[in-house]
Amino acid sequence: MIIKLEKIKVQSRKAEEAIDITAHVDELVAKSGVKNGLVNVMTCHTSSGLLVTEGLPCLEEDILTHFARLLPEDENYHHRRYLDFDGRVGFNAETHLKSILGGIQCSFPIEDGKVVRGSRQTIYFMEYDGPLERTYMVQVLGE
Amino acid sequence: MIDFHTHPVLIREFAEKYPDYTRMAREVFQIGNNLQPLETFFLQMDVAGIEKAVLLPIACARARGLAVSSNEQVAELCGMSKRFIGFASVDPLHPGAARELESAVKGMGLKGLKLDAALQDFDLNDSKVFAVYEAASALGIPALIHTGMSWAPGTPLAQGQPLLLEPAIRRFPKLNFVLAHWGWPWVWDANALALKYPNVYLDTSCFYYDGPTEFFQFHFSQQMPITIVERSLRNQVVFGSNYPRVEIKNMVKAIKSLGLTEACLQKILRTNAEKLLGIETQPTR
Repeated sequence: MIIKLEKIKVQSRKAEEAIDITAHVDELVAKSGVKNGLVNVMTCHTSSGLLVTEGLPCLEEDILTHFARLLPEDENYHHRRYLDFDGRVGFNAETHLKSILGGIQCSFPIEDGKVVRGSRQTIYFMEYDGPLERTYMVQVLGE
Repeated sequence: MIDFHTHPVLIREFAEKYPDYTRMAREVFQIGNNLQPLETFFLQMDVAGIEKAVLLPIACARARGLAVSSNEQVAELCGMSKRFIGFASVDPLHPGAARELESAVKGMGLKGLKLDAALQDFDLNDSKVFAVYEAASALGIPALIHTGMSWAPGTPLAQGQPLLLEPAIRRFPKLNFVLAHWGWPWVWDANALALKYPNVYLDTSCFYYDGPTEFFQFHFSQQMPITIVERSLRNQVVFGSNYPRVEIKNMVKAIKSLGLTEACLQKILRTNAEKLLGIETQPTR
């Protein structure tokens, strides 16, 4: 049984952004030596996400536009309060909720050393509160 | 646009270079956010439309064990990018503080003075502080003074009362005082000082609850009429975010939500700061 965990840094450059990480995940799986197993991908943050959809710019825009419609900045969020332990006000509730809505992880099977994916499935790291340097984890398990 | 109030306390390259940097950020400045590469600072400025940012150190080593960034660190960052404008901080109770300020300005190229009586633990009307003001006045640099509430632990509220600065403001009419955080919660005291004294400026880096836009809407529309800013104080307000306690983009959005005229916004976001800093200016109305 092989279990390999990689922590990958990604620099988002906009306030909100969908970053295609598919090729990087494929590469890590190929390097892992695992022929048959599973790969899990997960963001390390609560105001970013991980999701799978068709890799088209129009869909990237739709996701961000409609998440913003569902979770507008000017809603009444309890999180918007003085957080002394953090040295900040918790004013980014909508970014946390977008992370929950879109999800924070995905997994795919590995067969013959390759990620088994639908032909149109693309893995995105979703930035909801950038620009920031972020970290996501890729764990490969198998034989 | 210029951000007149930022703190370089979460820069990863500095955390790797300076052993106490992370402890300073966590325990003295008190901020929980992750360290970020310097690139993130510039990207945060970019998405907010900010061209230049004032970097503020706080010389609080005597009072708190560590300084919140040193003059040398600020100068080092300014050497890396022309987008940074560095201020100097000195401990007014330290013998030779005035000379230290002069050296930071003339030797390191720093452009202003930053003091925080609450974090640095001194009396704003101590004669030793006046010697530092005198030096700042002679150097022709602005003095950005913390007023209002501080996030830093162990800091008494009372030392942030804006009216404590009135004797210095009166004594040094040629020294421009920038009252940080608009003196919140003593915003009317800060307003009165700015109305009465032409050498008083206010920075907008006040944000302590709700969202930045909600806070600004209340503070500038209900707590005081926005007309005070538009009509009376338009030449004495500078935009400041207090990054990284809040992202710059959110504070720019908040100030732009107030319905100020474009001419007034231009002054707050650029020309008042340029005037204070003695850099390229645009015509003002």
